[in-house]
Amino acid sequence: MIQDAVVDLFIENATKAGAHVVRVTNVEELNSSLAGMLDRVNSVYSPGLTETERTLDIPAECRTDDYKDAAACVEEVHGAIAETGSLICSSRGGRAVQAGLLPRRHIAIVSAENIFADLDRFLGDLGDSPPTNVTLETGPSRTADIELTLTIGVHGPEHLGIIVL
Amino acid sequence: MGARSESIPFRENAAQAVRNAALRAAMRNATGTFSVKRSHAIASVPIEEWRELASQVRLHVLDNLEEYVNRFERNAVKAGATVHRAKDAAAAREIVWCLLKDHGARKVVKSKSMITEEIHLNDYLERQGITVVETDLGEYIIQIAREHPSHIIVPAIHKSRRQVGNLFAEKLGCERSEDPVVLAKIARAKLREEFLSADAGISGANFAVAGSGSLVLFTNEGNGRMCTTLPELHVAVLSIEKVIPSLADLPKFIRLLPRSATGQILSAYVSIISGTRKAGEATGARHLHIVLLDNGRSDIVSGDSREMLKCIRCGACLNACPVYQTVGGHAYGSTYPGPMGIVLTVLLEGMERAHTLLDGTTLCGACGDVCPVKVPLPRLLRRLREQRVEIGFTAAAERLGMVGFGRVARSPAFFELAQKLARLAWKPARITGIGSTLDRMPMPATTPFRKRIS
Repeated sequence: MIQDAVVDLFIENATKAGAHVVRVTNVEELNSSLAGMLDRVNSVYSPGLTETERTLDIPAECRTDDYKDAAACVEEVHGAIAETGSLICSSRGGRAVQAGLLPRRHIAIVSAENIFADLDRFLGDLGDSPPTNVTLETGPSRTADIELTLTIGVHGPEHLGIIVL
Repeated sequence: MGARSESIPFRENAAQAVRNAALRAAMRNATGTFSVKRSHAIASVPIEEWRELASQVRLHVLDNLEEYVNRFERNAVKAGATVHRAKDAAAAREIVWCLLKDHGARKVVKSKSMITEEIHLNDYLERQGITVVETDLGEYIIQIAREHPSHIIVPAIHKSRRQVGNLFAEKLGCERSEDPVVLAKIARAKLREEFLSADAGISGANFAVAGSGSLVLFTNEGNGRMCTTLPELHVAVLSIEKVIPSLADLPKFIRLLPRSATGQILSAYVSIISGTRKAGEATGARHLHIVLLDNGRSDIVSGDSREMLKCIRCGACLNACPVYQTVGGHAYGSTYPGPMGIVLTVLLEGMERAHTLLDGTTLCGACGDVCPVKVPLPRLLRRLREQRVEIGFTAAAERLGMVGFGRVARSPAFFELAQKLARLAWKPARITGIGSTLDRMPMPATTPFRKRIS
């Protein structure tokens, strides 16, 4: 599969899983999509660990260092898997994987070249010394524990936004 | 038959369950919905090929179980975990309690785990003064109702939204609602406080990866991730057969487990946890203790029902079973209900206590057809039923009747005579109403089938 088809499949499957996905081609588009997704959210956690995260246009007064109290987490994730529409969240590089779990809104940025076609291509090469925590995140948090009625956002985020760069 | 009083009263439980119209409606809805969703999820994938591959991996692990468990232990330790071996339920409970005591933990948050149900961990810890909070919504509901799970995937499936609404209003003091969305929000707010204030998290694991020493957890709500990343101490309890060789094998199971369990392509979260937080990392418990429970598995793996240990606890056989669909999980009076539950309970708790569950099968084979790892459930059930007869755990009248039928059926002359007698005796027998079973039996045909075709 050529990478363009992989990206399209990822967007299709992530959307099916309940994520809101947009594709952008440059930093300006990235920041304008982000502004749309953040809407009026006034406490944003973004760790600034990668080059992309450092170029994000999030006003200082909206930022917080404490993901436990943040209304949104904006971060660049390790990669994604097209087969399942999943994001790959990894603790590699000092990233707090749980930061994308506690706030009501998780906005993940993923570089198109880091999207794997299928599970085997990612997990097959992960080897025997993976980072302490690798989480595949597929759509928002959900439950069907009461009469099998689908309910979104029970413990984790209600909104999962994905920006493919 | 002195042991009879100690066996699970399955017939009595089942009779009571079928009279409960609300329960039957709930079970019909749940099992029907899951079965349909599963069919859709497997419709356009090479499911037979996947089942065969997964079955082979599970069999290979069982053939080399000790080696893989040792490898898992070595690699988990290398990644920073401490591994404990527990021979039985009592040993596992004791280990968990000592760990909590050593860390001064008073409150633990729990992620849904059938193995901790198997060892009755919550009751034990509560008796030691520990506050145990179940955080999966379904488990939370049955915990505050002080009940036990009725389904291994959706534990509170027997409860209606009205019952949950009443329960929350009564126990949590919140405003009464019947809206699942509102109820989930109430639980979210309540449990968020618990996550952030807990001293320890306890989880099970869906798989343990030998090659990397990793634990793998599938959850939809996110509570499993909270339990394993927020508190300083994480205790994972799992049985030894959960091990798979390497992370490269994991995709086979990621593809099968959610599809078979809930009909999802994938659960919202799959967490791969490898040891403790390392220098420069911001995720991972400071202390990870893994309790590897045997509880009879080493014996089962060397016996002729060993393939039961291939089971990955998806619940598909429960949903497919006409008996489970009708009576629900509580009738089984055991940790694990449905077809896999019958076999596992007989193996874990013994024929004496669990032989009555063997009545809970029609031998229709639906469980075997849906099993994602090809556990030969119909064959295992049939063999256990044979053993039950051999050991003598069936009613004397039933055994006598079967011996008598065997004698008669072997001789055409006897058989014909018996048919004639049955035709004569049937009417008066039904009128006198000897038993309710007889009432439901059809009248013997005037011309037997054998005569009609000859």
